[in-house]
Amino acid sequence: MVETGGDRPIEGLEALKAPQRSDAQRRAANERILASAELPLARRRQPTSSWEVLAAWGRPGLVAASIALAILAGSLQPWRAWQQEPSQPVVLEEVIRGAGESEGVPAMLVAYSEPDLDAVAAAALLDRNGNGSVIPETVEQR
Amino acid sequence: MAAESEALSPVADEPRLVARARRGDREAFAALVERYADQAFAVVYGFLQHVEDSEDLVHDGFIRALERIDSLEPGSSFGAWFYRLLVNAALNRRKYLARRRMDDVPMTAAARESPAIDSERAELRRRLAWALGKLPAELETIVILHDLEGFTPPEIARVLEIPEGTCRSHLSRARRILRDLLEEYQHHG
Repeated sequence: MVETGGDRPIEGLEALKAPQRSDAQRRAANERILASAELPLARRRQPTSSWEVLAAWGRPGLVAASIALAILAGSLQPWRAWQQEPSQPVVLEEVIRGAGESEGVPAMLVAYSEPDLDAVAAAALLDRNGNGSVIPETVEQR
Repeated sequence: MAAESEALSPVADEPRLVARARRGDREAFAALVERYADQAFAVVYGFLQHVEDSEDLVHDGFIRALERIDSLEPGSSFGAWFYRLLVNAALNRRKYLARRRMDDVPMTAAARESPAIDSERAELRRRLAWALGKLPAELETIVILHDLEGFTPPEIARVLEIPEGTCRSHLSRARRILRDLLEEYQHHG
């Protein structure tokens, strides 16, 4: 077999070995370990009360409940949106009245039938006068 | 090939001792300390090369093991688990010490600890410690456990949780690198 240099230990490596400790040194070291272990050992001897078990489960339980709630809320969302969709056609007059009262951007209106031209003209007038009166104030004042 | 060691041969009734220690039984824990403390000290000394530092680390290692003993799977070896914990702690400790000393040679204990050691021996230790410290952590651990402490490759495989074949090839590679490093040290001092 070819000697690769990896088959035998390094010469002199035993110089790094731990020094022999006396029995007294060993005993002292072990006693120090056991003295420090008293408290953790005592803690382990205490019986665990059922409240502690419940408390330990409390946090993961809360997290699980929150996740379940979030999932439930998420799954209900499309159903609620579907429920809120109008099932009756909107009366055009109501929409026009609403658009005249508000100052916001007029909504895009959709109706099942063609708009009444008179109603459209009335809506345009209302929109131009702003306050709902058909005759402009300036004319009335004159 | 190294002779079979007893590094990981369990004490009689070890699983029961571990179970009792889990419940806070002082005698059971004392039996585990009695069984593993000496070898643990020797292993840690291989990394730190300092008596007090090694004793402190073994002390802390046992306390940490007691605190974490619930994570030891029933039926698995306390020794392998404990040595794994110790080796990691020793590597971390040495890194910390090296940073604190701002010293390239991680183990300068040879001169610090034993003034009685003749200078030639101290120099040999310094050289070996330097070369060992240059190895990747896993290779260094294998050399320390095998060549210094007499663990067998199957035992090391259990401690490091690696395949036995990997352990053997790592050992061979580590020795080759060590030889190269020692030669380099000799030439460049």
